[in-house]
Amino acid sequence: MKKVLIVDDAQFMRLAIRNILEKNQFEVAGEAANGIEAIQKYKELKPDIVTMDLTMPEMTGIEALKAIMEYDRGAKVVVVSALGQEVQIKEAVINGARSFIVKPIKEEHLVNTLNKILDINKSI
Amino acid sequence: MSEEYINEPMLEMFLFESTQLIEQLEQSILDSDKEKCYTKTAINEIFRIMHTIKGSSAMMMFSEISGLAHSIEDLFYYIREENPQNIDCSALSDLILEGIDFIKIELEKIKNKDSADGKATTLIGTIKEFLYGLQQANNYKNIDKTKQKVEESKKQYYISQDKVITTVYKNAFKATIYFEDGCEMENIRAYTIIHNLNDITKEIYHIPEDIIEDEESVDIIKRDGFIVYLKSDLSYEKMFEFFKQTIFLKELELTQLENEDEFKQFLSEEPSEIQKKDYQIPKEQGKIKTNVTQSISQQSIISVNVSKLDKLMDLVGEMVIAEAMVIQNPDLRGLELDNFQKAAVQLSKITSEIQDMVMSVRMVPLSATFHKMNRIVRDMCKKLGKEVELKIIGEETEVDKNIIEHISDPLMHLVRNAIDHGFESVKNRELKGKSKSGTLTLEAKNSGSDVLIIVKDDGKGLNKEQILKKARENDLLYKNAEDMSDREIYNLILLPGFSTKEKVSEFSGRGVGMDVVSKNIETIGGTLSIESALDKGTMITLKIPLTLAIIDGMNIKVGNSTYTIPTISIRESFRPKEKDIIIDPDNNEMIMVRGQCYPILRIHEIYKVDTKVTNFTEGIIIMVEQDDKLLCIFADELIGQQQVVVKALPEYIRNFKKIKGIAGCTLLGDGRISLILDIGGLIDKR
Repeated sequence: MKKVLIVDDAQFMRLAIRNILEKNQFEVAGEAANGIEAIQKYKELKPDIVTMDLTMPEMTGIEALKAIMEYDRGAKVVVVSALGQEVQIKEAVINGARSFIVKPIKEEHLVNTLNKILDINKSI
Repeated sequence: MSEEYINEPMLEMFLFESTQLIEQLEQSILDSDKEKCYTKTAINEIFRIMHTIKGSSAMMMFSEISGLAHSIEDLFYYIREENPQNIDCSALSDLILEGIDFIKIELEKIKNKDSADGKATTLIGTIKEFLYGLQQANNYKNIDKTKQKVEESKKQYYISQDKVITTVYKNAFKATIYFEDGCEMENIRAYTIIHNLNDITKEIYHIPEDIIEDEESVDIIKRDGFIVYLKSDLSYEKMFEFFKQTIFLKELELTQLENEDEFKQFLSEEPSEIQKKDYQIPKEQGKIKTNVTQSISQQSIISVNVSKLDKLMDLVGEMVIAEAMVIQNPDLRGLELDNFQKAAVQLSKITSEIQDMVMSVRMVPLSATFHKMNRIVRDMCKKLGKEVELKIIGEETEVDKNIIEHISDPLMHLVRNAIDHGFESVKNRELKGKSKSGTLTLEAKNSGSDVLIIVKDDGKGLNKEQILKKARENDLLYKNAEDMSDREIYNLILLPGFSTKEKVSEFSGRGVGMDVVSKNIETIGGTLSIESALDKGTMITLKIPLTLAIIDGMNIKVGNSTYTIPTISIRESFRPKEKDIIIDPDNNEMIMVRGQCYPILRIHEIYKVDTKVTNFTEGIIIMVEQDDKLLCIFADELIGQQQVVVKALPEYIRNFKKIKGIAGCTLLGDGRISLILDIGGLIDKR
């Protein structure tokens, strides 16, 4: 089972994502409520993939993404964000986010995106 | 809720978190309103909270809440990004508070399993208008900016800076990509492809050209697909594999181009315009370096359903009884059991530790309850044209969760009363030489096993004449006005059917009087006292027990019955001497202790218990105290001290027989019932 780290400041959203993932044979390795925690947890848990919220207190998702990418160039981070945040998503993509999912999250969107990214053979 | 993964715990979490966020938001707005300006931090916080609520409520399909949150988020996004001048702070606060109220009501409906059927359309309209107004007022700046943007992005290709056109790639491709329906933000998905392609090749052109600024690009991509022309050294297969990996890919057409004709349309442009597109990304605000320890400590907190805590408390109560049943088991009587005694002591120690722990888990600081009053003060002052400042002291004081629920309403009522009736208008205050703005103080502090909550105003104070007049009119005077102490006069306002205000006002006169407040406080074993001075102000003190469930009690024996006295009320106990007993002309028995005279109450007399011990010298006197009043209770003997679980009296005894002086009952170790004496009630009885 692939290990996922869920990063979101809203407990509700973390629960929602966790429910979807656990239903679809992912292992939720951990949760983080802000960027700082996300970096710590990434180093500690070494997840296969991260779902990253952008708007968070303490440290935003973008900052955390940058730090994670610096720590692990092969990190697989998927941004979970809302409509209207195009600018931030773009910045996330520039900084190495593999893809993004738009809130409100649809189950199949989340699952397909994660599966596809995990499948991708980075050789090209 | 169409999605399968949405379940009951999620709804609970949604309610819990949204309620918390809304409270936090309200506080933030009230603070900003007080300062008459919105700081950057506050704007950011409000934006973030609305953003979270928008997301969560959209997932739970509460579209009205989500829509409203969205409009507020937009408004604050604008304020954050554009930093417009001349914001009408007060109007902004009113607007957002209205929004908060709407969401609160909807959340309450959802909590009660009603349908959240409120419509936020009008409110959203007003918020949009407000935003529009702001934009209008700051117009010139904005138009300039958009113009600039348009010019900037007219003709640009995504070509890397260091790209040298002379690089020759072997193969040319054309790819047309369609994304899955409903994947949202097609333009940025297209951007992701271009971004990834950048690792492979430097020569890329695409239609639509402007996928970033141009909002129509989304529709174009949806309709015509996203078309990419590129040159690369990779083979067709490799390219195909690359595009295949696109997330949310619905359809892909990839063709290898034989000649480069199709590239010409892009190359006809002047080379100087070929430059790296410099996407303007607004810097995220605020340097992000806060202390790490804080975030770690946050994480060590979990939320628990209150009903589980209630259950836990019940179980601990049962355990205390079970412990007594074991340790005081009648089978053990007369046995020498050293090891058993040791084990028993250990058990008692641990039980009482568990109990303290469970108790402390249930303790909640009063701050949330206190801060709720900010809103009431603000709204009422605005409506009534008064100026009152709310001062909060000791908000960190903790009380049992159940008790908080019971004092929230009475407290709100007291605050409303104070502002409505207590404070004078600004003009009258000035006439009296007082400061223009009144001060309402909310204070909480610990006092023994009680918590004192004090609501104090510096308004006009209670008018004794008026109270007496009113009481006379309503036939509430129970004794001569001349014989009444100030305190007794003030207490008249606590009687049912008393209301000093002629007109029922919007805020305090909702048919709920002070009698209801004092009833509510009494149900949780608290008391209410009033002090007042004319033109100086009024002070209402609520005395609330820390917790309801378990108390330290002294068991006493009267005949075959057992009674329990709360240890906290006991001053001393002693065997009386015959010579200290005094009988007054009304045949009341008194006892002289160290030169002071105290009334004696014979338990066996008032509760008609058969006992052989009627002579003072054979029994024991227990001196008890409540509210500075002292009383001596006469009983057969003391049995011992023990923690007891307070159980409510059966309805029959409480309401039908109306027996006074008993606070509740408890189970003893041997399974018998002991009645817990209500010292306040006994003192009144005497």
